[in-house]
Amino acid sequence: MTSVSFSRLEAAERSGPLSMDAAPHPWHYNPSRWSQRVPICILAGVGFLIAAYMGLYQWKLIGSAWDPFFDGNPQAVADEAPDIGRARNGTETVLDSKVSETMRYWFLVPDAAFGAIAYLGDLIFGLAGSTRRWQYRPWLVVIFGIDVIPLGVVSVILVVMQGFEVQAWCFLCLTTAAISLILIYMAYDEVWSCLLYLRAVWNETQSARIVWKTFWGRPTPEAERVGNAFLTAAVVPR
Amino acid sequence: MWCRVVEIMLGCWLLVSPWIFGHYPQQQAFVINDFACAVAVMAFGFLSFWRPLRHIHLLTILVAGWMIAFAYLNRAEPVPPPLQNNVLTALLLMMFAVLPNHASQPPEAWQTARRKSLEVQLDTGETTRRTS
Repeated sequence: MTSVSFSRLEAAERSGPLSMDAAPHPWHYNPSRWSQRVPICILAGVGFLIAAYMGLYQWKLIGSAWDPFFDGNPQAVADEAPDIGRARNGTETVLDSKVSETMRYWFLVPDAAFGAIAYLGDLIFGLAGSTRRWQYRPWLVVIFGIDVIPLGVVSVILVVMQGFEVQAWCFLCLTTAAISLILIYMAYDEVWSCLLYLRAVWNETQSARIVWKTFWGRPTPEAERVGNAFLTAAVVPR
Repeated sequence: MWCRVVEIMLGCWLLVSPWIFGHYPQQQAFVINDFACAVAVMAFGFLSFWRPLRHIHLLTILVAGWMIAFAYLNRAEPVPPPLQNNVLTALLLMMFAVLPNHASQPPEAWQTARRKSLEVQLDTGETTRRTS
């Protein structure tokens, strides 16, 4: 280390373009900061709990599933589903439906349990990485984005399709679908910044090798230069 | 290193799961597979704490891939709980295994590059002040 003192380094680290809280293009805030990511993780945690609850019903580890609004449709229930001794409500009908049974055949596990794992993935990938991961670990942001955005869209489409196919609506499934949509809204800014940054590195260097290295979080002088020029504000007030 | 700790705990779960999920006709194959995967997952988790082998946790992804393949190869209707456990544990393992050891920090190479840039930035500022 040169003559530069540690405290001055720290001060420069907090306020300059190398600040971990610097805002990337096109935002005026840092989408990777904890105050942006923690709410996503909390919401994903709620999605996980609801999906896990439905998974427990599909495994028949609990005898009923809550639905305050929708009635069931006996014709939609799969032949394999056990008799629960009363008419099923909307949630129970959807969770015991032929569509759900088909998905269970594909995934080997109940579809709600599969969804619970996806929400847990949102939570885990939301927690991992520093507050400048859009630049330092683009691969992590892209995995997080894949988990939240395309999987979220697919799950919403599946829930809506299930409603039309099964002819019954499931309150908890609709709740998780709403959570997925909110998660997409909350997470897209970070993913967008990260993709724009990778494109900026490509535009600057025209080198697939450098973009590849940048994607996997290996620094290059070019990526560092582009990263610093990519900021809209070095320090964002808390 | 929290991801490695979780992987080791999932390895422990795999190790005890034959006693949790009971007896099945193909039980011996299931038990051997669970034990082998558990030992591999735990070994990779522990070895990742040793700096020269810090990336070895990535091999856990292969173990998890095998666990899913094993479940599909031995599928039956209804799917036996040990196989469902394999699929879910494997998916969890995959998610944790991709995460680096110090996931909340920037990568080491970036930390070094940042420090160098900061020093250059401060040195340049110092020189400018002196010359003016």
